[in-house]
Amino acid sequence: MSADLAPRQLTEALQAIPGVRSVTDDNGALWVDAPLLEVEAMAATMADLGIRLGTVTAIPHAEDGEATVIYHYIDEHRVISVKTRTRNGALPSLAPTVRAASWAEREIRDLFAVEFPGHPNPVPLIRPEGIDTATLREAMCRPAAVARKPVSPLATYPARS
Amino acid sequence: MPYSFPLGPYHPALEEPFKVKVQCRGEVIDSATVEVGFSFRGIELLAQKRNWVEVITLIERVCGICSNTHAMTFCMAAETIAGIEIPKRAAHIRTIIAELERLHSHLLWAGVGAEDIGFHSLFMEVFSLRELVMDTLEAISGNRVNYGMNCIGGVHRDIPDPMRYLPALDALSKGLAEIVIPTFTENPTALARTRGVGRLSREQAVEWAVVGPVARASGLDIDVRKDQPYLSYAALGFESVTRPEGDVLARVVVRALEMVESIRLIREALLSLPAGPLRATEGLPEIPVGEATIRTEAPRGEAFYYVASEGGATPARVKIRTPSFVNIPAIEAMVTGQPLADLSIIQASVDPCISCTDR
Repeated sequence: MSADLAPRQLTEALQAIPGVRSVTDDNGALWVDAPLLEVEAMAATMADLGIRLGTVTAIPHAEDGEATVIYHYIDEHRVISVKTRTRNGALPSLAPTVRAASWAEREIRDLFAVEFPGHPNPVPLIRPEGIDTATLREAMCRPAAVARKPVSPLATYPARS
Repeated sequence: MPYSFPLGPYHPALEEPFKVKVQCRGEVIDSATVEVGFSFRGIELLAQKRNWVEVITLIERVCGICSNTHAMTFCMAAETIAGIEIPKRAAHIRTIIAELERLHSHLLWAGVGAEDIGFHSLFMEVFSLRELVMDTLEAISGNRVNYGMNCIGGVHRDIPDPMRYLPALDALSKGLAEIVIPTFTENPTALARTRGVGRLSREQAVEWAVVGPVARASGLDIDVRKDQPYLSYAALGFESVTRPEGDVLARVVVRALEMVESIRLIREALLSLPAGPLRATEGLPEIPVGEATIRTEAPRGEAFYYVASEGGATPARVKIRTPSFVNIPAIEAMVTGQPLADLSIIQASVDPCISCTDR
C-alpha cells in the first residue's frame, strides 16, 4: 500500500504525468484534469507511488460519441480522480498491468462502447446475452424526462421520532 | 483427465446468481473464471432519471443487505457537493445504523458460512442472534431491510430512548463470546473446513486490490473508518482488526472480532448521543453544480460513490463501485490449487454480494 506522501510531493508527482494539465485540491480530494492523458504513464506513476486503482467512471458524451473517463485512485487517506477523455472512442487498456482495471474496463465497454485496446480478456462482464455493447449509452445521454422537483412528503415534513 | 465444473449461476451454495467455472485435475482446481451480470438492473442509469429524493429510495435498493450504506453514501456525496455539514446527532444515528447493518450482515454471513460447511446447528444459533439485531433495526427504523433513515442533510428518524437498546447489545455480546466465536475458532469441524483453506497472500491482496474484511484477513490494514474517518468514527475511537494468515479462518475471525468492535461502537454512540437537530436543513436543499467522490466502509469493505450534479433536479451521474465488485474477482486466485469440495466455502468467505456487483 501507499507510503504516506506529503500532499505537495503527491501533487508534484501527478503534475509530472504526461498529459496532465492541472491538479486541484478540493477538501482533501485531488482532481487531475488531463484531456490528453497518457494512461499507461499514469498507471506506472501510481504503481511507483503504491496507490491502488479504486475504479473507473465513464460519462458518455451525446454530441460526438466520445466519453469522459475518470480513473479514481485511492491512497487510503484521499481519493485522486484523474479525468481524461476517449480518443476515437477508445483509451489504452490498463488491465495488462493493473488487475483492478480489468472488470472496470469490461463494464465500461459493455455499457458505453468505449474500447480498451490491449485488454487481455475483452469479453462481456455485465452485458446481457444477445445485447450489443453500449447498453446504456443512448439512454444515459438523453435528458431526464422526469425532471420535476422533489414532492416526497419526507422532504418537507419534520423528522419523526 | 482435466474437466470443467460450473458452480452456478443458480446453485444451493450460492445465495445470488453468479457463476464460478473451474477447471479441475482430479480433485484439485487448476484455474477458475468468475461470471457476473445475472442481476443487472441499470441502477446508475435510473438514478439519472429521478429527482434527488427519489434517488435515495432507488439507491437503497442496490443491495438488500447493505442498503443503508448505499443510501447514506449517496446522501454524503450530495451533502459534499452542497457543502452541508450534518448535525452531530444525525452523524451518531447514521453511525449506529451503519454498525447495526454491519452486525446483521456479518451474522448473516456467519450463518451462511456455517451452512456451507454443513454445520446446521451453528447456522441456527447464529440466525437466532441475528434476530436481536434485526429487532433493534426494526424498533429504530420501522423496517427490517430498507431502513429509510437517510435524507440529504441528516436522518429522518430519531432514537428517542437510546438506553432501551443496551440489553440487546449485552445479549449479543454474550452470544458472540460464548457461542459464535468459540465455535468458529475452536470447534474441530469448523477448523478442518476453514484453516489453511483458500489463502490469499498479502501480495495477492495488493495485486487484486481487494478491500474490507478480505483485505484485512490478508494483513492489509485498510479500513475507511480509520484511514479517512467520517460520521462519528473519529470521536468514538475506532480500531481496525487484521489477521496475517489470509485463509478462510482469518476472514471468519476478522468478521467475528469486527462484530465485537461494532457492538462497542454502537454502545458508545448510544451512550453519548448528542442533543440537537436531526437535519442541517428543512426540506430539500438545492444541489449546486459540482462533483464529489465519497468512500464509506460497508460490511463487505469500501463502497465508493462518484456523484455529479449540473444543478438540476436529478443527478447528472451516479457511479457506484461496491466492495464485492473488487473482491469477487479475487476468488479466482483463492480457489486455484484447492480441492473442489472447498470451492463452496472459499467463494462464500468473500461474502460476495451479486446484487451490489451487478447493480
